[in-house]
Amino acid sequence: MDGITMQCKMEILRILRNPYYLFWSLFMPIVFYVVFTRIFNSSIEDDQVWQAHYLMSMTAFSVMGSAIMTLGIRLVEERTQGWSMFMRITPLSDQAYFFAKMVAQTLIHLFSIVIIFLAGALINGVSLTAFEWLMCAVWILFGSLPFLAIGTLVGTMKRVDTASGVSNMIYMVLALVGGMWMPLEIMPDFVQTIGKWLPSYHFGHGPWQIVRGGTPEWSSYLFLVGYLLLFMVISGYIRRKQEAAV
Amino acid sequence: MEPKIVLSNVKKAFKNKTAVDTISFSIHKGEVVAILGANGAGKTTTMMMMLGLLEPTSGTVQLFGKHPKEKYVRERIGAMLQEVSVIDALKVREVIQLFRSYYTHPLSFEELVDFTGFSKDELQKRANKLSGGQKRRLGFALALAGDPEVLFFDEPTVGLDVTSRKIFWDTVRELKQRGKTVLFTTHYLQEADDVAERVILFHEGKIISDGTPKEIKTKLTKQSISFTSDSTIGVEELKEIPLVTGVFQKNERTHVITEHTDEVLGALFARNLPIRNIEIERGRLEDAFEQLVDKREVV
Repeated sequence: MDGITMQCKMEILRILRNPYYLFWSLFMPIVFYVVFTRIFNSSIEDDQVWQAHYLMSMTAFSVMGSAIMTLGIRLVEERTQGWSMFMRITPLSDQAYFFAKMVAQTLIHLFSIVIIFLAGALINGVSLTAFEWLMCAVWILFGSLPFLAIGTLVGTMKRVDTASGVSNMIYMVLALVGGMWMPLEIMPDFVQTIGKWLPSYHFGHGPWQIVRGGTPEWSSYLFLVGYLLLFMVISGYIRRKQEAAV
Repeated sequence: MEPKIVLSNVKKAFKNKTAVDTISFSIHKGEVVAILGANGAGKTTTMMMMLGLLEPTSGTVQLFGKHPKEKYVRERIGAMLQEVSVIDALKVREVIQLFRSYYTHPLSFEELVDFTGFSKDELQKRANKLSGGQKRRLGFALALAGDPEVLFFDEPTVGLDVTSRKIFWDTVRELKQRGKTVLFTTHYLQEADDVAERVILFHEGKIISDGTPKEIKTKLTKQSISFTSDSTIGVEELKEIPLVTGVFQKNERTHVITEHTDEVLGALFARNLPIRNIEIERGRLEDAFEQLVDKREVV
């Protein structure tokens, strides 16, 4: 097995063995889903639509979490423990290593999507057409890219404590103000205004449209691509600065 | 034959300190070389530059005639760094397999396990749950994963007990038998003397000596003839004796420093000097090493 494939496999194993991933990206979204669709029903429209809507919210919430936190914190850990430096002595290039990490992360996201969709189908009997399921999955998979870029940004931090604190906060704010926990429409006006500028809102908005039989809006594509480029540029800049400092 | 490692006029300056000051040396295939020096002498910085982890401020470092960062070089080197870091969430067995996958011609899994001496149970353990000594053994296996031609060990025996040390050095000797080139840093003179066939002595970023342990020892240790005397003998008079390199007084004894004790003794007797209680002293290597380091620090 060549280096990149093996690295991918090992990265996947590492994520699956990480209790934070299991708790925050699989267990919690499903618990939230049960709580907000079966116990408290704050639905402002009919139940079936709300159940599909909230399933997408929770799937997006889960994937956003592993993109920002799992990736970001692990990058900091690897650097502080000298592991990334050690890797530079091996023939596996930095790019290959990074690529393997991204592929692993994407496969893990796919796994989370399948599990949470299944949970939705089993718990509430959410039924969408095959095309709708597929479109939602594809959207969430590719829409996670700007959040992976945030993850690499978190990954440039010096201490694990700071990284986990900051990424937790970003994660929660993005989820809440982006309308993942409750629909943006029932929040105060100023929150709605801010929310519509956040990547998390547009990340959720795509599948919210799809489950209602619509298609994602162009603005959502633009926001996600824009944020992806922005975060990539910032994290690339910080990385170069850090390398120059050595 | 082309040397494996060539450093020419390498200098590394950090913000407020010159860590390595214009050093040059080359290392050939099959050599076992110790880089010896006190803490902060620039040993680790030099090793980091050879590994391509630090860029020299000026001068060049070449391995196999290429820049250390090139893939060709990375395929052929292995290293154990000072700070043992272990990837988390993977089992020992998995980490070894992972490292093997990076190289074109890795050593077999079984052979690597033999080097570590791990049991079947230990291979199933999570790597980050190993004890310090076990982590070191894993690090050693990882350094060997690609069957490298040149090996770098940065302070390899710090924190190891006597038995582990012995096992480690025995393995290094075995690697030498296989024709590997080995470079290690240490601040123990004894280790350099026991294992290396060449010692490069570092002090404050400079190389102050480079040779076989024997050469270094003769250079460092001074022999002297000491005696007491009833009447005072002029220091100048003693210094005039051929082959004498120095004279000093200590605890009411006069010490005459020379590398040729026999001839100087003869000369002392020939001059019929009033000397008694003659002793010949051979300086201890450790003392000489400390002396040298201290002396430089004063200068």
